[in-house]
Amino acid sequence: MRLLSRKIFALHCVWLALTLASAFGQSPGHHDVVIKNATVMTVTHGNIKNGSVYIKDGKTAAVGENVNAPATATVIDAGGKYLTPGIVDSHSHIALDDDVNEATSPITPHMMMKDAFDYQDKAIYRALAGGVTTSLLLHGSANMIGGQAVVIKHKYGASRDEMLFPNAPQSIKFASGENPKRVYGGRDQMPSTRMGNFAVQREALVQAQDYMREWDAYNAKVKRGDKDASAPKHDLKLEALADVLRGKLMVQIHIYRADEMLTEIAMAKEFGYKIRAFHHALEAYKVADQLAANNIAIAAFSDWWGYKQEAWDAIPWNATMSMRKGVRVAIKSDSEDYTRRLNQEAAKTMRYGGATEEEALKMITLNAAWIVGVDDRVGSIDVGKDADLVIWDGYPLSSYGVPEKVLINGEVYFDRALPGLGTTHYREGE
Amino acid sequence: MWNGRPRPLPLVLILVLILILSTLAFTQEKPVALQGGKLLTVTHGVIENGVLVMQGGKITAVGAASAVTVPSGAQVVDVTGMTVYPGLIDSETSLGLTEISAEAMTNDLVEMSDEIMPHMHTAEAFHAESALIPVARMNGITNAVVAPAGADTLPGQDSFIQLAGGSATEMLLIRDNAMPLNFTGDERRNKVGFEKRKFPSTRMGLAAQLRQAFLDAQDYKAKWADYERKKADAIRDKKPEPLAPKRDLKSEALLPYLEGKKTIVLAAESPSDLETAVSLANEFKLKFVLNHIAHSQPILDYVASLNVPVIVGPIYEAPKEDERYDTVYSLPAQLYKRGVKIVFASYSAHNVRNLPDQAGFATAFGLPYDEALKAITINAAEIWGVADQLGSLDAGKTANVVVANGDPLDVKTDVKQVFIQGRAVPMTDRQVRLRDEYSR
Repeated sequence: MRLLSRKIFALHCVWLALTLASAFGQSPGHHDVVIKNATVMTVTHGNIKNGSVYIKDGKTAAVGENVNAPATATVIDAGGKYLTPGIVDSHSHIALDDDVNEATSPITPHMMMKDAFDYQDKAIYRALAGGVTTSLLLHGSANMIGGQAVVIKHKYGASRDEMLFPNAPQSIKFASGENPKRVYGGRDQMPSTRMGNFAVQREALVQAQDYMREWDAYNAKVKRGDKDASAPKHDLKLEALADVLRGKLMVQIHIYRADEMLTEIAMAKEFGYKIRAFHHALEAYKVADQLAANNIAIAAFSDWWGYKQEAWDAIPWNATMSMRKGVRVAIKSDSEDYTRRLNQEAAKTMRYGGATEEEALKMITLNAAWIVGVDDRVGSIDVGKDADLVIWDGYPLSSYGVPEKVLINGEVYFDRALPGLGTTHYREGE
Repeated sequence: MWNGRPRPLPLVLILVLILILSTLAFTQEKPVALQGGKLLTVTHGVIENGVLVMQGGKITAVGAASAVTVPSGAQVVDVTGMTVYPGLIDSETSLGLTEISAEAMTNDLVEMSDEIMPHMHTAEAFHAESALIPVARMNGITNAVVAPAGADTLPGQDSFIQLAGGSATEMLLIRDNAMPLNFTGDERRNKVGFEKRKFPSTRMGLAAQLRQAFLDAQDYKAKWADYERKKADAIRDKKPEPLAPKRDLKSEALLPYLEGKKTIVLAAESPSDLETAVSLANEFKLKFVLNHIAHSQPILDYVASLNVPVIVGPIYEAPKEDERYDTVYSLPAQLYKRGVKIVFASYSAHNVRNLPDQAGFATAFGLPYDEALKAITINAAEIWGVADQLGSLDAGKTANVVVANGDPLDVKTDVKQVFIQGRAVPMTDRQVRLRDEYSR
C-alpha cells in the first residue's frame, strides 16, 4: 500500500512538472538554448574548457569559449561537466518487438525494419539514459541478405514518425558465417555451409542482374515508342537487390572471420557494389589493410569473444589495431544491455591499444555516424549539425561517466534529476 | 577431419607433459618486494609510496617505505606510479565449465535431467587448461567461485578456485564449498502446454520437490544413524551386523547443508520468489547467502532484516518495463545503505575480466568506492570462508597481488603484473599471442 501511494505521488510530481513547464511556454518545440560552463568534447576539433554551445532551431549554431546567443535563450549551466555529442549506436536490434529475423528464406532484402519498429519500446528510453541519441536498427543475421534498416533518434515520448531520422540513407543488412548455416542447415536446407552461404548470395545477385536487364530492355522499348512492350512483373525482392547493385543501399555485413571478409570484398567487386561496413568484424585485425584499402569501416565489439566458434579469435585490440591500419572503427552494442553504456565500451579501446580520448569517443560518435551515413548531421559538436548532446556526470570515458542530461535536436529528452523515469516527453502511465 | 580446431596431442606427448607439469609445483622461489606503489590494502586504508614483500607464497610485510625492511636477496621491483591491490575475487563464474558457448561439446554447465542434482560437483568438470582462465587472470582476477548454470533448483556444488596452478588439483582450492539453490523462475522449464507438462511445472511443484529432497535427506540421515547404532549394539553383543542401508548420493550431498556446515547460495529475482525461497531455507534451517535479487527493490528492508550477505546483480540486469533506468544499477548502493554486505560476480566465463568494471559503475549510482572495492575482495573472501588467506594486502595472507597503472575499478586501467602465491604469472594469454602474431 505504502509503495503504491509513493508511486502515485511520483507520477503526480512528473505531471505537475510537465504542466508547469508548458504553462511557462516551454512546451515541446524548437527554441534557443545555450549550454554554458562545459568541457566541450567536440570530437573534431579538440576539447574546449569552460566552453559553451549555442543551439538554434535544434542545430548547433556556435561552439566556443564564448558564444553570441540572444538573452532570451534558455541557459543550461553544465557546472563544469563534460559535454559530448550524442552517442550513435551503429548496430542495434532494440525496438523491433523481436521481429528481427524473417528467417523463412535466406534472401529477404525487401523486409523493412521500419515496419517492425516499436517506437514505445522502453529499451529506447534506457539507451537514451545512457547517452544514445541515434541508432541503426538492423535486421538480424539469420539470412544472407536480410532486410533494410531504419535509423532512429531516441526521442522517447515523441510520435513514431518524429523518432525516424529524417532522410537518413537506407542501409541493408547482409550476413555470413555460422548464423545462416545454422538456421537453414538445421532444416536441411541450403545454405548449410559457407560455400552454400556465398552461393545463395551470388545467385540472388545474379537474379537481380537479370531483373534489371529485363527492365532495361522494357524501358528501352518504351523509349523507342514500342506500344506493344509489356512491362515485366514488379518484384519487391529483386527491386531491393537491384538497389544494392545500383549503389542505392549501403551494405552492412554481419561477419566474423577474416577469410569471409575477403570473399565479401571479392563478391562486392564481382557485382560492382560497395560495402559500407563489416559488423562484429572480430577478425578485422588480420586483414585490416585490405579493409582500409576498400574504405570499409567496422562496427565492432570492444571485447566480446568465445561465444561461438567464429568468435574464438576475437581480441580486445581489434579496434585499435584496425584503426592504426587506417580502418574507420566504431564500437557498437548489438545489445539491449551494452547500448546503455557504450561510453565504457569505447573507453576500453584506450586500455587495449592506447586509443586517445578523441579516437575512443569517435568510435561511438562520428565513426558510427559515418557507418549509418549521417555523419554530416550528427556525431560531433560542430556548427550546422543537429544539437544531439550529452552532459555527463563524471568523465565519460570511464566506469564512472553517467549522463545527466541528454538533448536531441536541442531539446532535453532525458534529465537524471527528474523524478520518475527522468523523461521529459514521455509520461508514465500513458 | 580437420575442422579448424586444435588437433589432439599424441598420447605420449600428453603423458610427458603431465609428468613435467606435475613436478612444477606453483611456488614462489625467492622473495619479491614491490616498492614505491600506491597500496590499496582494503583492510587498513591506502598507503602511498608503500612496500609490499612476498615470500614463500605469502605476503610477509606491508607498509610505508620507511616502515618496511626488505629482506636481503629479495628481488626488488620498482612500482612507482603503480597501484597495488589484492587479487580480485569473482563470486560466481562458469570458468572451466565452458570454452565456446555455442559449441555444446565444450560445455559442462548444468545437468538438466532433473531439477535436484546436489551430487554434481563442478570440481569434477573443471577444465584447468581452459583458455578463458588466463584471459580473466590478466585483468587481476585471481580467485573465483565456479558454479553450475542456474537451470536446476539444485544444480550441484560450487568450487572455489585460484586462477593459476599446474593442474586442476592445485587450482581447486576448495571443492564443494557451497551449493546454489535457484528460485529465479528459470527452473520452471516444464511449464509448457498442458499436454506435455510433467512434474514439477510450477513454483509450487518446485517447492514441493525441493522440500521432499530435504526430507529424504533427513530420513536418510536418520536411517544411517539407526544403522550405526544397531551395528554398534551388534558388535558389542557379538551378534551378526545388520545390513547397511543403500547409499543415496543426492541425500549424502545435501547433509552438510542440512547440518549448517556449508553455505547455500539462494538465488531469486522477484520478491515472491525470494520470500518463498527464504521460507523454504528457514524450514530446514539452512545457512544461506542471497544471490541476484535484481528485482526485489520493494523488499530491501526485509532483505536487510535477514542479516545475510548478497551477491548482487549483475547490475546490468534490465529493469522491469515500468522501472526507472537505474533501478538495478543503484541496487548495490540501496543494499549498502541498509547495512547489507554485498559482493559482485560476473556471472560469466568469457567476461570474468570485466568484474571490476561493474564495481566501478555501481559507484556512479551511489555505492561508496571503498565498498565497491571490498565487494570484489575482502567481502567475497569472508563469504567464502577464506578471509584469513585472501581479500586484502595483509601480512600472513596468500600473496595474490595485482600491479596496475591506476584505479582498479576503471575500465581504462591496464593490469601490468599479477602475482599468485607470490609468483609473477606470465602476462600472456591466447589473445595476446594473436595480437602479437598479427602485429609483426
